[in-house]
Amino acid sequence: MIESPGVTVTRTGQQSAFGGEILTVNFGPHHPSTHGVLRLIVDLDGEQIKRIQPVIGYLHTGIEKQMEALRWQQGVVVTDRHDYLSPPINNLAYALAVEKLMGVEVPPRAQVLRVIMSELTRLSSHLVWMGTSGLELGAMSMLMYCFRERELIMDLNEEISGFRMHTSYIRPGGVFADSTPRFLEMLDKFVREMPGHIDEYEDLLTMNPIWRSRTIGIGRLTAEDAKVLGATGPMIRGSGVAWDLRKSIPYSGYENYDFEVAVSPDCDCYGRYLVRIKEMREAVKILRQALDRLPDGPVNVDDRKMLPPPREELETSMEAVIHHFKLFTEGYTVPPGDAYVAVESGRGENGCYIVSDGTHKPRRVKFRSASFVNLQALERMALNHMVADMIAIIGTADAVLGDVDR
Amino acid sequence: MIDAELIVEKGVTARDQWITVPADRIRDALSALKVDGYRLLVFLTCVDHLVDSSREFPARFEIVYQLRDLDAGRAQGALPTKSADLRVRTFVSGESPHIDSVHDIFPPANWDERETYDMFGVVFTGHPDLTRILMPDDWVGHPLRRDYPVGGEVVEFSEEHQIWQTAPEDA
Repeated sequence: MIESPGVTVTRTGQQSAFGGEILTVNFGPHHPSTHGVLRLIVDLDGEQIKRIQPVIGYLHTGIEKQMEALRWQQGVVVTDRHDYLSPPINNLAYALAVEKLMGVEVPPRAQVLRVIMSELTRLSSHLVWMGTSGLELGAMSMLMYCFRERELIMDLNEEISGFRMHTSYIRPGGVFADSTPRFLEMLDKFVREMPGHIDEYEDLLTMNPIWRSRTIGIGRLTAEDAKVLGATGPMIRGSGVAWDLRKSIPYSGYENYDFEVAVSPDCDCYGRYLVRIKEMREAVKILRQALDRLPDGPVNVDDRKMLPPPREELETSMEAVIHHFKLFTEGYTVPPGDAYVAVESGRGENGCYIVSDGTHKPRRVKFRSASFVNLQALERMALNHMVADMIAIIGTADAVLGDVDR
Repeated sequence: MIDAELIVEKGVTARDQWITVPADRIRDALSALKVDGYRLLVFLTCVDHLVDSSREFPARFEIVYQLRDLDAGRAQGALPTKSADLRVRTFVSGESPHIDSVHDIFPPANWDERETYDMFGVVFTGHPDLTRILMPDDWVGHPLRRDYPVGGEVVEFSEEHQIWQTAPEDA
């Protein structure tokens, strides 16, 4: 038994192909390269991986159970916290599901603001991915560059919602508040500067010999395997399948934007990296279009049974006071039934399945998380690779453990 | 083509198409649907309908399979020939309800079934490794059941926790 922090080795006694012995190595849960608390039980022949058994649940926080105890409008706050790198996208999935069941359509300005927040989130999520993956594979400076631009997105979040990370900005019935003029100025500046920054990342990584040798041909996942295993997002697009929910099953007005689906036929870690770079460029393109076409008008549905009346009305209208009181003591009800809405997050299909029994609390909320499903493809990708390659493969699978365990 | 006798009920709720199939024929129904083009299992989950007076349900636990046809939604611009998503629902009852596993028809079901077992105690017959996936292995009860209280769990590694975890055997 050899032990070091985060890694335990057990001898199995089985004969390996090269005359040695197959070892079972425990990897994690507290290991710097596991992006949180992923534990892997790996069978090794020498340095070759013969079997991987992911053990998850270390970050299980019972989010689905909590949602059942909260009223419909309170649940938004919890949705922020399962995939903690893309809160507004999770909000969007939940809000769209509730709106679908209630038959509510949000005003155009709210739809565009939702697209802006989704794309900003996609950018920030990919930036965290690129920074940490670069760090793991030896490109230390990537983290500094990526977090520099992520900071700008955090500032944008703060300006529009008051929060830097868990914004709870997108809510059933619209968004929390209208954008401020300062937000639009900051966003305009960000959109003008961002393509230059993406060029910088590409200068650092795309032709970098170390990055290429660590990722090209590593973690192969064929298009057929990706489809069969239910992989979504950059995982399936990196295997050459042009499946993007924003194009295939458009939501929140994505059909009106002109952008390309990032696809790479490489099927390896490098392909998934190229997909994410391309997606960042497309996100900037969508942000530019959204900014140019941001319509005037309200940002919330005009339904006093669902959203509180404006503050100034409370002083003059008795009805407004009653609505305000009812909404904050009881909440609103959602008609009985169930609905499923899927949105494209930085990691793939993040969906929300809700079941209502006609009361003001959900009967069941299920989050279909992309990381949970994508992580199942890990064994297929890592088989017969070296231990060090596993780090690259976990990295490009981009599983957020909060999202895996919920 | 799915056999008409397999469909107990069908309908559309909030623009989502769904069909109900008998629980004992779930493998036949899903295999037929897979041949029909629904090749992706988006998710599999369970809904506990304990004391739900809003609607009529044949049994307490509803197992939901969300299927997707990846090629139907591909008709960009044009209207898809058939709806891309289909929800298959089936009902099981009992203290430890049983249903056949579909992990060999749809590989993503493997972890989903483990999660459903963990959270609802639904036993998937034929699953290769039906163990808890999110909760600790020694956990008592199935947390997402409606009769499992919120905030009722004791703090782990405390003295109380030790007593609570060992009580059923000693009693």
